Amino acid sequence: MSFRHLATTRPFVTLGLVVAAWFIVPLGVKAFMRASFFELTAPVTVAADYARVLQEYWSMRLHSNHELIEAGRDLARLNASYELAVSQNTELQAEIARLEGLLRLPSFTDYRFEHARVARRDFSGWWQRIVIRKGKTSGIPLDAPVVFTGGVVGKVTEVHATTAVVELITSPNLRLAGVVEGDTRPLSYQGGVNPTFGPAKGVVEQVPIDIFAGPGATKRLVTSGLGGVFPPGLTIGIITHVEPSADGLFKTGEVKLDERLGALTEVTVLVPLNPE
Amino acid sequence: MRRTLVLFATLVLLWGLVSQVNHVLTDLRVYFFVGALFVTYAALMLPLRAGLTATLLGGLICDATTPVAFGTHTLLFAATHAVVFHLRDRLPREDTVGRIVITLLANLALFLVFSFIQIGRSPAPAAAWPRLIADLIASQVFLALIAPWFFAFQHRVLVLARVERENLA
Repeated sequence: MSFRHLATTRPFVTLGLVVAAWFIVPLGVKAFMRASFFELTAPVTVAADYARVLQEYWSMRLHSNHELIEAGRDLARLNASYELAVSQNTELQAEIARLEGLLRLPSFTDYRFEHARVARRDFSGWWQRIVIRKGKTSGIPLDAPVVFTGGVVGKVTEVHATTAVVELITSPNLRLAGVVEGDTRPLSYQGGVNPTFGPAKGVVEQVPIDIFAGPGATKRLVTSGLGGVFPPGLTIGIITHVEPSADGLFKTGEVKLDERLGALTEVTVLVPLNPE
Repeated sequence: MRRTLVLFATLVLLWGLVSQVNHVLTDLRVYFFVGALFVTYAALMLPLRAGLTATLLGGLICDATTPVAFGTHTLLFAATHAVVFHLRDRLPREDTVGRIVITLLANLALFLVFSFIQIGRSPAPAAAWPRLIADLIASQVFLALIAPWFFAFQHRVLVLARVERENLA
């Protein structure tokens, strides 16, 4: 009888021992295990992405010469307009530096652009993040802002040897300070509402009561520059509507995010040149 | 030891394949959760120590690659393993359909417990549930489709590694 009892309770006794052992293990050991197991899976992620790149390469080889000539022509036109924008940008940068000198303003943080390919996208109802194919070896720092052509992507939350993890602005785990374009008062943005088959949305809180947004009058939400992570003026999303919050002091609202965030293949990490 | 490592290798492959499927589906905002597949075969077919060790290692892989408190998957998988192992003599574990049903029930339980643990982070928990329910339905359908293949694959790999006999599945 006692042997039978022991046999039936054995899995639960073992489970109890596992749980007890887990809580006894020091945090340093757990952190080491986490990093080790992540690095164990990194080659799988990176190899799968290399396979995708190869697949894209061979599919592009199927394009005709005529299509390539047309693409080259379009690129040449784009390059010409970008060259003009670069020269204007240089003049504006010089103007900003001159005004900063005159007014003795603290200068904005300068960034180095580190372009990275997205190796894995991981968007669940619980979290939203991507793994990029650059890490410590490329000098990616923790908490660096990540952007794409549509604005903010998120920020780096984990850095590994050759990969890094970016928490997206669609994730409920990411909160940042933003401002309505043309306004200076900060408000709080948090991602999190990601309906199936629909575009991701975020929420804004602490919106000043004199700001209105609705179907016919949307407002662009940009980064405020507060907090020291994101430079000011980067697009977060479009505020589609706001309504008074429960306390009546502020408003809360919904932010429509760029649909391209769901299919990112390349992003840019802004690496601060003079980190404090 | 070899049995554990071989089974762990199949779990790494499962993790890689499912993460690639989820990568492709991000544009549709659908996510497959197949946590029960990390547990069921080991709990139903292997001795306690070898099976539980493989399950724990699979849980550690899931923990290392997700932004959850380290140990969440590991301990949930271990608890599921203990329950399934405890019940396995009363379950039709040699039958593929029986195994799939057990896997679906285990996945349902894991998904719900995991959701209740994670839902607190959402700014609007009530608004998050429709998405989670849609993901749960999609996950269960996906799981029912791939579970027979994965069980057969795990068994075949164990046979090829000469740690399991052909007639055990």
